[in-house]
Amino acid sequence: MAIDSLAFLIPLLPALAFVITFFFGKKMYSGGALIPIGAIAISCIISILITINLLQNPEVVVHQSYPWFAIFNLGILIDPLAGVMLCMVTFVSLLIHIYAVGYMSHDPAKPRYFAETALFTAAMLGVVLSDNILQLFICWELVGLCSYLLIGFWYQKPSAAAAAKKAFLTTRVGDVMFLTGIIILFSSIFTIYNGNLPEGIYVLQFNEMFKLIPELSAMHTTILGSEVSMLTIITLLFFGGAVGKSGQFPLHVWLPDAMEGPTTVSALIHAATMVTAGVYLVARTFPMFMGAPDALIVVAYVGGFTALFASTMGIVMNDIKRVLAFSTISQLGYMMLGLGMGAVVGMEAVGVSMFHLINHAFFKALLFLCAGSVIHSVGTQDMRQMGGVGKVMPITFITMLVASLALAGFGIPGTQIGTSGFFSKDAIIETTYLFGEHTGNYIPYIFGIVAALLTSIYIFRLLFMTFTGKARTDYGGHESPSSMTVPLSILAVLALIFGALTQTKFYRFLDETFINNFVHVNIGDLAELGNYHLVHGHHGEPLLILWMPIIVGVAGLLISFLIYYLKVVDMSKIVSRNNFVFKLLYNRYYQHHIFIEVISLQLTYGLSLVGEFIDRKIIDGIIDGISDGTIAIGEIIRKIQTGVVQSYATAVIAGVGLLIILLKLIVEVQ
Amino acid sequence: MTYIVSLMILVPLIGAVLTLLTQTKEQARSIALVSSLAPLVGALYMMMQFNSLTPAMQFVESFDWIPSLGVKYMVGVDGIAMPLVLLAAIVVPATIIYSWGESKDANQFFALILALQAGVMGVFTSLDFFLFYIFWELTLIPMYFLISIWGGPKKEYAAIKFFIYTHVASLVMLLGIFAIYFAVWAQTGIPSFEIPYLLEQFQFLESSMLRDSIFLAMLFGFIVKMPAVPFHTWLPDAHVEAPTAGSVLLAAVLLKMGGYGLFRVMLPMLPFTGSPDLMISILAFIGVLSILYGAMLALAQTDLKKMVAYSSISHMGYVTLGAAALVPLSVSGAMFQQFSHGLITCLLFMSCGAIQHIAGTRVIAELGGLGQKMPKLTVLMLFGFMASLGLPGLSGFIAEFMILTFAYITLPGYVLLALLGIVVTAGYHLWAIQRSMFGVLNDKLGHLHDITNYETLSMGILALLVLYFGLNPSPVLDMMTTNAEQIVSLMALAGV
Repeated sequence: MAIDSLAFLIPLLPALAFVITFFFGKKMYSGGALIPIGAIAISCIISILITINLLQNPEVVVHQSYPWFAIFNLGILIDPLAGVMLCMVTFVSLLIHIYAVGYMSHDPAKPRYFAETALFTAAMLGVVLSDNILQLFICWELVGLCSYLLIGFWYQKPSAAAAAKKAFLTTRVGDVMFLTGIIILFSSIFTIYNGNLPEGIYVLQFNEMFKLIPELSAMHTTILGSEVSMLTIITLLFFGGAVGKSGQFPLHVWLPDAMEGPTTVSALIHAATMVTAGVYLVARTFPMFMGAPDALIVVAYVGGFTALFASTMGIVMNDIKRVLAFSTISQLGYMMLGLGMGAVVGMEAVGVSMFHLINHAFFKALLFLCAGSVIHSVGTQDMRQMGGVGKVMPITFITMLVASLALAGFGIPGTQIGTSGFFSKDAIIETTYLFGEHTGNYIPYIFGIVAALLTSIYIFRLLFMTFTGKARTDYGGHESPSSMTVPLSILAVLALIFGALTQTKFYRFLDETFINNFVHVNIGDLAELGNYHLVHGHHGEPLLILWMPIIVGVAGLLISFLIYYLKVVDMSKIVSRNNFVFKLLYNRYYQHHIFIEVISLQLTYGLSLVGEFIDRKIIDGIIDGISDGTIAIGEIIRKIQTGVVQSYATAVIAGVGLLIILLKLIVEVQ
Repeated sequence: MTYIVSLMILVPLIGAVLTLLTQTKEQARSIALVSSLAPLVGALYMMMQFNSLTPAMQFVESFDWIPSLGVKYMVGVDGIAMPLVLLAAIVVPATIIYSWGESKDANQFFALILALQAGVMGVFTSLDFFLFYIFWELTLIPMYFLISIWGGPKKEYAAIKFFIYTHVASLVMLLGIFAIYFAVWAQTGIPSFEIPYLLEQFQFLESSMLRDSIFLAMLFGFIVKMPAVPFHTWLPDAHVEAPTAGSVLLAAVLLKMGGYGLFRVMLPMLPFTGSPDLMISILAFIGVLSILYGAMLALAQTDLKKMVAYSSISHMGYVTLGAAALVPLSVSGAMFQQFSHGLITCLLFMSCGAIQHIAGTRVIAELGGLGQKMPKLTVLMLFGFMASLGLPGLSGFIAEFMILTFAYITLPGYVLLALLGIVVTAGYHLWAIQRSMFGVLNDKLGHLHDITNYETLSMGILALLVLYFGLNPSPVLDMMTTNAEQIVSLMALAGV
């Protein structure tokens, strides 16, 4: 168990790499890139070794805890859920770092780049292995900081600076909800213990939180006339944080703009280090969600709707990275949808959803890195100026094709043949069908299946527009250097086979996340707490249902093939006709406009200008008025002080006379 | 080292006189730095000797001064005062290093800074209301001159407004002090200005109207100093016109005197006022109003420094809110907010000062793209801004998290309102830095250079401290909590 004692190095090494590269990177090879690469490689090895230990013995997890300030602690928890995440994050981040040596080779600010990506990775690793919700929140915010720094990496560009701010502020809205959730959770726990928190335990540790689920679920409060359980409120607020971080509707607006940073940063954000944090948060606190079925349903609906909503916008975008950005939002929607299905399938929801998270990390990192390879070579992000890139960049083309097939979820049901997306995305769609079967509510299923069709359309549209046909402009591309193509190939292999190799093992491994020496949660009991029943053993779906995701996938491929390869329909005509639907989609449902113009500028900034008016004119007006008044009164009184003795004497006599009259009056009254 | 507390006051005072007598700016700043480092050494020594487990006064010195009136020279520190003494001992040398290049009447400039330090040290350590009030007023004079001599274009208006505003507030506070002094004298027959004694006797005053009047009079003195909305308008004006060193000291230590008064005087009295619930509501309301109003106003500012000034108002609102909640850890969180904000705000005002100095303007719209020419400043400023908007890992987060979390137990509605301010706070910080440091470089700004090594050193040290106390708040937080627990226990004693 010696390797367990090195667990603290997993986030610490990349954090140290940040410090070293930031201050001393300038003098080193490639801006000090080797420091974070080495650090993350070691973190990756430690993560893999610990996870292998866990695989053999999943009920003995790594847990270390140290007192911090007041009544809080710092701690490390590596259970199966954290283990697979750690391996994925370190591995994908490592490949992206290696790729960046080639991709960023011409950028003068390399030390800053590698320092910040190292910190980004460290923060994400911190999120993953926190043993308490406060520490998780802290690392969560550091992830936000790093995304801000990296999206705004080319800060000279006004659009990059604006995108960075937008990302930070939008996710901050979610973060405030998350923080509110923590605050309400703490005060509820405080109430449960009658104000006497037991000595020696840290109430925000996950095991302590989970222990109190029945009590939290029994606490109620009234909101807008309806009685809501505290647990529901807390979990929904946590989910609010996840909505911000994982780009779920309506806080997804920052993610498409986040491509203002280098493409490698997009790959990090979209695959390994940022957007998965929200899904992970829900998975991490899943027992609490299990005790609050209403919250789970919200998770499912928001996720399903996001999956569909984002994929509609993915269809019309012309910027290659923007298509991928909407694809990420949509796929994250699937993961949330999968988690929401916990109301029927219990812990399997975590397995299915996390499995998609891991697979998605591989193929989405691959998609972005391929896109980066294309952009690096042709010098534009606009797909309308590409075309025929496949001929000059064969490796990039093949790896991109693999990634696209994985995203569209191609495979053969009933066999072990398929891309990784087939085993995870289609599994999510299957659970939604199961949900429909048991509750009669097929809406999540419809979300899932329609989004799958659109996914297939937009990704093959991207593929055909970029790689096939004739070159539409004279870009003169070339294949990328091997530091870029090798990571592509490794990821392509994983996107192809990881799903088939690990699916059953993965589910079984994650099933035991909450049953070990740190925490023991019976998911079935929690379901009873929420008054619903889980379904066990379900393998009787009709054949059509099993094949349905594949059918829509192929249909999408065909539609794209007809329009963008054979050009049966001339899309440019539809677009140029100022079609309402097209405009709506292309302008992203005007949501950006609503958030920036209406809420930020007109409402918030307008209100602040009103405040400024109050401050200057009213408050300062009163203050200056008092001082002016004092001076004015002084002026008037000054006139009385004439210096003429006669007038003083008159005043004295008048005063005495007045006093006598007053005294007489008083005496008479008495 | 029995007289260490007195030395902490006396050394800067003597240093001030010596600095005033110097001929060149080199002599002036060297003597000033040495005289300000001595209290830092003293403060560190006291920190090491300090017993965090007792709420009692430590390092106490007591001498009779005017026995017939019960006036004593009595100083000492506890967990409320010690961190603020440390803060003042850190901030003053940092300011002196930052102002290393000051050449206009350098001897007077540095002498005033040291005199200010002496006054502030006196306020934080006095245990006698008479002495306390003398030091309290003593801090006004150096600041008045710092603004009116080294200030900006509207310095006369700002200096007078600062002086009269806070002086009127001090007078109201003085009335409160006299009221409690004479009332206790009348009741017990013993004249005394001793703070702990008077606070203890407060509950035995018969008239609840008298108790409320004393409470409100002194409260007025303190919240104007903090400052709390709506008594805040002197602060932005003072900051805008003050020289950088003046702004730093004003925000980092002078405002903290107001917060210190809350913990030292107001909270121990609060349970024994006629209607504690009303008083708590007043405090909580003022706190939340300051948080939200300060943040909104910061968003509206076009001058970078004025924005930072409003952010101070917003952040000091957390102090009031945390104090009002009267939960031990919210009260110590509020104390920690004072300490933390003192460090962070230095970074912010130093950044503004450097921009003003180098670019010649602080109007946000006239800046732009400074990051390309001033990378060191950009890093330090971004660090300060992130600390100010409450980024975890830095000291501001610890304070705000504690205040919000623990205040929610007793004041849930107010805390939920305060939470709304978080996004606005992030908004004005990021918007300002986006428009000033990022984007395309504004050609009209002419020749730009990065900050000097002295500026980098002082800001770097402060940044490291913000990080250190963000990761390890316990050295100052534990002593605060001990005293906060004692204060809150008075509530139970009063049966509230």
